[in-house]
Amino acid sequence: MNSLIRLDNIEYSYPNGLKALKGITLPIEKGEKIAIVGSNGAGKSTLLLMFNGMLKPEKGAVFYDGEPVSYTRDALRDLRKKVGFVFQNPDHQIIAPTVYQDVAFGPVNLDYTSEEIERSVNEALMYVGLSGFGRRPPHHLSGGEKKKVAIAGILAMNPDVLVFDEPTSALDPGSSESIMELLDELNHEGKTIIISTHDVELAYPWADRIVLMDEGRIIKSGESGQVFSDEKLLREAKLSKPVLLEIYDSLVGRGMPEQEKLPKSVLDFARMIDGGMLNEIKCDRCGSIFLVDADRLEGESLTRHLDNYLIEFTGAMGSYAKKKAETEGIVLNFTYGVIDKCLLKAISGHNSLIITTGGMIQRVMDRVDEYNRECGKDIEVIISETALN
Amino acid sequence: MYYELLEDVAQKSKIRDVNSAVKLILGLGCILICVSSGGFLTPVVIALSISLVTIFIGGISLRLYLKLLLVPLGFAVLSVLVIIFVRNSGDVVFIYDLSGLLTLTVTKGSVNEGILVFSRVFGGMCSLFFISLTTPATEIFTLAKRCKIPGFIIELAMLVYRYIFILIEEAEMIYSAQVMRLAYGRRKGSIESFGMMSGALFINSWESGERLIGAMDSRCYNGKFALLGEPESFFCPALIASVICLVIFLWIMVFTANIEFYGGVIR
Repeated sequence: MNSLIRLDNIEYSYPNGLKALKGITLPIEKGEKIAIVGSNGAGKSTLLLMFNGMLKPEKGAVFYDGEPVSYTRDALRDLRKKVGFVFQNPDHQIIAPTVYQDVAFGPVNLDYTSEEIERSVNEALMYVGLSGFGRRPPHHLSGGEKKKVAIAGILAMNPDVLVFDEPTSALDPGSSESIMELLDELNHEGKTIIISTHDVELAYPWADRIVLMDEGRIIKSGESGQVFSDEKLLREAKLSKPVLLEIYDSLVGRGMPEQEKLPKSVLDFARMIDGGMLNEIKCDRCGSIFLVDADRLEGESLTRHLDNYLIEFTGAMGSYAKKKAETEGIVLNFTYGVIDKCLLKAISGHNSLIITTGGMIQRVMDRVDEYNRECGKDIEVIISETALN
Repeated sequence: MYYELLEDVAQKSKIRDVNSAVKLILGLGCILICVSSGGFLTPVVIALSISLVTIFIGGISLRLYLKLLLVPLGFAVLSVLVIIFVRNSGDVVFIYDLSGLLTLTVTKGSVNEGILVFSRVFGGMCSLFFISLTTPATEIFTLAKRCKIPGFIIELAMLVYRYIFILIEEAEMIYSAQVMRLAYGRRKGSIESFGMMSGALFINSWESGERLIGAMDSRCYNGKFALLGEPESFFCPALIASVICLVIFLWIMVFTANIEFYGGVIR
C-alpha cells in the first residue's frame, strides 16, 4: 500500500472502440527503474499516459502516494508537476521558438519567480549538456539534442517521477547511450524512472524491473533476468531474447554450469569466460537437422514428420512455410535466424526440424556444410522424405 | 533541408546578439529616409552602405545576398519601365510609334522619376534585408513584449513560428515520398498529387494541434509563455553607430535635395 504510484485494475479503450488496456494492476515503488517492454501496439504508451493523468481510465483507479488521482484541473496540475512525461517524438513536445523558452515553459506556468526560472532552466540545460544552446531555435538541433531539450524541459520542473516514452527511439547508438546514462544519473538522485521500450537489449541491463506487456495486458513483471529467460512469454509478446542471455543459455545448454547471477553486461560475461566456465562445455554428440519441403507435401500433414523423428525444436523459413505450419497448428520455436538457431541446438545435442520451400533447401545444406567445415563438426542434414518420393 | 530560409540565415548572423531594437531603429530609419528623400542619391548611398554592413559586419555571403536582391529588383526594373513609358513631363527624349496603335514616349521627367523610384526600392529593400538577415523572429518576440503588444498575440505568433518549421519539414517529407513514387510527372497527376499533399498536411496539422494541447497540459500550462531575457543593453556602441549613420544619411538627403539629374522635374 506504500507504493508511490499504483495502478489498480485499469481498463481503457480508444474512442474508436479499440481496447488498449485490459485490466492492468501495477505498483511502482519510490526510486525504482522500471522498463515497460512490449511490441508495437502492446499498449505501452497508453499505459504511460495514465501515470500523469493525460488519459483517464474507464475502469479501475490510479493512486499517487496512496491517494486516488483526481481529474480536476488543479489536481492534475499538481500531479503533472510531480510526474514528468517526456514524449517519444521531441517535436511533439517542444512548443516554444527557442530552447531557453521551451525549457522555461514548465517553470513559468508553475509561477516560479524570474530568478527561480533562470536558475532551474540553466541547471536543467547544464544537466543534459546543452548549456549555451538557450537562444537556438529547436529546428536547428539534431535529433539527440532535441530529445535532450525535451528532457530538460521536464527536469526544470523538478518532478519526482520521470516517465519516458521510448527514450532512445530514432537516436544513434552514441546518443542513446548518453540518454540512458542520464536516466541512471537521475535515478541515483532518487528519482523514480519509468520507460517504455521494445528494445530488449536496452531494457535488459538497465532496468530494476521489467514489465512485459502484450495486447493490453501485463504478462509478466519481475527482475530482468527472470523475465527475459522465459522464452515462451517473449515469443508470445513478439520480442526476442537479449543477445547476452541467448549466448549464455546456449552455453548452459551445452553443459556449462549455471551461474548464480545472469550476465547483464559484457563485463559480466567476460568475467564468466575468464573464470574458466567454458572448459566445462562438453561436446559428445551432435543433434541432426531435419528438412521438410513444404512445397512437396501435396496435402500431406506436416505433423507426421514431427512424429517420425525425435524433434525437439521446429523452425520455418519463408512465408509459405510459416503459413503452412500455422494452418496445421504447429508451434514454431524459430521464425527468424532459423538455420543458425538450429545449428546452435544441434551442437548442444538437440534435433530440430526446418520447414521450408524450394531453393531454401540448398541454402540450409550449404550453410550447415560450411559450418561443419569451419568448426570440424559433423552435423547431419536429413531431408525428410515426403510420401511422394 | 534543401533550402535556406531568411530566418536560418538570421540565426547564424554575426550581429544576431546585438539588441534587436537597435537593429530595427537603423533599418526602419533607413527606410524612412529612403522614402522621404527627393533625390536619388541618398537611397543609393543608403543601399550601398547598409549592404556593406549586412555583408561584412553581419557575415552574410555575398552570393546569397545578391541572389536575394535579384528578386525584388527584378520586379522593380519592370515597374520602373512602366513608369518611364507611362508618365510624361518635360522634354521628349525618345519616341517610338508602335504601328499606329500605341506611341511609346520617354521624357526627361519620366526617366528621372523612374530612377528615383528604383533607387528608393533599392535602398528600402537593402534596409529590409538588413533587418531580416540579422534579426531572427525569436528576438522580435521579446521586443514585441517590451512594446506592450498583447500577450496572446505574441504567444500565437510564437506557436505559429514553431509550427511553420514543423509543417515545412512535413511537407518536404510528403513531397519526397510522392516524388519517389513518381508523382508530379504529368500535369493532371501533379495537380492530384498536390491536392493529396495538402490533404495530408491538413490532417497532420490537425493532429499536431491536438498533440500540442496534450504537450502543453502535461507541462502544467496555465496561460503563460516564457520569453527570452534581454541579450544586451539597449545603450551600446551599436546604438551610437546607428544614430551617427542615420544622421549622416539625413544630412546627405538635405544636402543633395537640390541636385538635379538629367533635368529632373518632379517635385
